[in-house]
Amino acid sequence: MSVRHLEVEVRPTQSGAVLDLHGEINGFSEEALDTAYQQAEATNPEAIILNFEDVDYINSTGIALIVSLLRKARASERHFLAYGLSDHYFEIFEITRLSDFMGIYPDEQSALSGASVS
Amino acid sequence: MTAPRSGARRTLADFSLPSEPGNERLAMEEVAAVVSGLGLPEKTLEKLKTAVAEAALNAMEHGNHYRAELPVFIEVSVSDTDLSVKITDEGSGPPSFHSETPDLEAKLKGVQTPRGWGLFLIKHMVDEMRVSGDEAHHTIELIMHLDGRAEGGK
Repeated sequence: MSVRHLEVEVRPTQSGAVLDLHGEINGFSEEALDTAYQQAEATNPEAIILNFEDVDYINSTGIALIVSLLRKARASERHFLAYGLSDHYFEIFEITRLSDFMGIYPDEQSALSGASVS
Repeated sequence: MTAPRSGARRTLADFSLPSEPGNERLAMEEVAAVVSGLGLPEKTLEKLKTAVAEAALNAMEHGNHYRAELPVFIEVSVSDTDLSVKITDEGSGPPSFHSETPDLEAKLKGVQTPRGWGLFLIKHMVDEMRVSGDEAHHTIELIMHLDGRAEGGK
């Protein structure tokens, strides 16, 4: 099994900037996440939307990185949403209370709709 | 492979990994492979994997300070009632985890560091967690009860 270092693509939509996450979210991911977030923020979107569909591993350091992004988004009054989490990581987002502070959706369509109305 | 039906504990695997960033994932996958024959529900297996990864991460980072020449030892054993994973590092003194209970609101306000989720996650993933140590080692033992565990359970 090889490590899948995180790669992030930023995709502007009418509802906000989608960050398509590919790989693992761990201690190696900070630069990729920060760079993508800055790129997304440059377009001044109302919402930042994390797409977890191609993420198969998140550790505690990765949770901390997501907390840092959430903090930035709240500071600039942007909506912060996510979709595509597995059942296991959805439960971890509930345990950590991340789901209390960010919109969690099952798929992109519902996330984009959520971003539009929130 | 099935759990032994006596009170005896049987070792399923005993291995070590160098303390290098990212190797907690190897620990997780190796333990998952070792217990694959026990018929654990998927949900239980996912929780065990996260607990093992977090305990191994802590051992490599805080116990062995990512010194690759210092291995982390992992022992997986099973009895008729529980599955145990012991993860041992070569740190000294009390096992080092963030002692502060993570509070997301405090983290978002900058009152707490964004980090410090490892022990919290482990406690929520397993049925029991035991921490021990001496002058030369720390061990964290993760226990999953097997009795009555059915598909869809914890």
